[in-house]
Amino acid sequence: MVRMTEMPAVGRGFISRLEMPELKHPAWTQPVPAQERRVAIVSTAAVSRRGEKPFSWLARDYRVIPKGERDLVMTHVAVEYDRTAWQQDLNAIIPLDRLDEMAQDGEIGSVANEHYAFMGAADPRDMEKSALEVAERMTQEDVNTVFLIPV
Amino acid sequence: MSVLAHYFESAGFATVLVGFVREHIEAIKPARALWLDFPMGRPMGKPNDPEYQLKVIRAAFELFDAPSGPVLVDFPDVIPVKDGRMGYALPPELVLSTDEIGDVDALLAEVQAEIEGLRSAYEAAVAARGRTTVGASELAVEGLAPHIAAFVKGDKPKSPRKGLSPIPALKLVIEDLTAYYTEARTHRDGIDDIELLGKWFWEETKAGQLILWLEAVSLESEDKVLRQIVDMSLVTPRFWSEGPLPGTSGSGW
Repeated sequence: MVRMTEMPAVGRGFISRLEMPELKHPAWTQPVPAQERRVAIVSTAAVSRRGEKPFSWLARDYRVIPKGERDLVMTHVAVEYDRTAWQQDLNAIIPLDRLDEMAQDGEIGSVANEHYAFMGAADPRDMEKSALEVAERMTQEDVNTVFLIPV
Repeated sequence: MSVLAHYFESAGFATVLVGFVREHIEAIKPARALWLDFPMGRPMGKPNDPEYQLKVIRAAFELFDAPSGPVLVDFPDVIPVKDGRMGYALPPELVLSTDEIGDVDALLAEVQAEIEGLRSAYEAAVAARGRTTVGASELAVEGLAPHIAAFVKGDKPKSPRKGLSPIPALKLVIEDLTAYYTEARTHRDGIDDIELLGKWFWEETKAGQLILWLEAVSLESEDKVLRQIVDMSLVTPRFWSEGPLPGTSGSGW
């Protein structure tokens, strides 16, 4: 249960003190029809391919997760959330197999070749440059739809 | 997450997010968001349950049908967590002091025996899943507990990873040791229970005890970074329990 009003006092205090960025104009992009969607996942689980540089504690950079890659490790700084789900099944946090099935069934158009991971503990205001780099990469492979998933 | 969604939506992509902290979504107003009342670490709800995962994804993707936004919808299911936590948390009274630390080598031997005892289950888990999440530290499994024990003894072994300083590397060693245990146990016993697995590892295993000893030593360490990681509850899962560890600044709270 993660409504702040029902959290234990300590957790509520921490979450409620996080600075909230002010976004002047809510963004809106008209979606394409479902069968034309090319979907990329953006995760904030701080996962990366084995052997890649670990995420630093307040990382503002990102890692690329190739569509077929399953040999991933997690270097997220926080320890309070469950790790056992993703240990058992990558799809519990990054559902690449599910998206593939949806593409095969025609529910979506296709799944991108590249997906992306950020460090969820870092301040997202520091990630704009990285996000724009990711946007450029997604444009290069005709992605039009982004599914963002925390951990 | 909501801010990242804003960046991508602004760059011309249609985005949808699933999220855990409703108040943040309400404040930042991403274009489309599905709020999940799930334990953190489980955004698709359940491992090895494709139908449930698809249900979450389809509920999120339905938001693309909204003619305008921002759109925030609650996923109808609740996956409850004990006492309003986001996951397992150590009992607040289970805080050790250095007075309670015994023979480190004896405990290390018990941990190594425990690791050996789990080896066949771990290897079966890796074979069945075709992957393991152990290995971020790049230490071999048999090197994990000795590395932590060295810190408990007051030493500061070199980082096993080039370019990574010793304390961040120590955190990865702890993660690897924990993952080895829980990957083995979830496969061997076919259990998927956050509370049971957390209680088992942190309150019942010798490996959990070793890390609690490390936490006790870190509280009194002259190493600023080592103290900082216990101050901020980055070693053991205490974040959602009752308060900062006694003796810490509580800067992470």
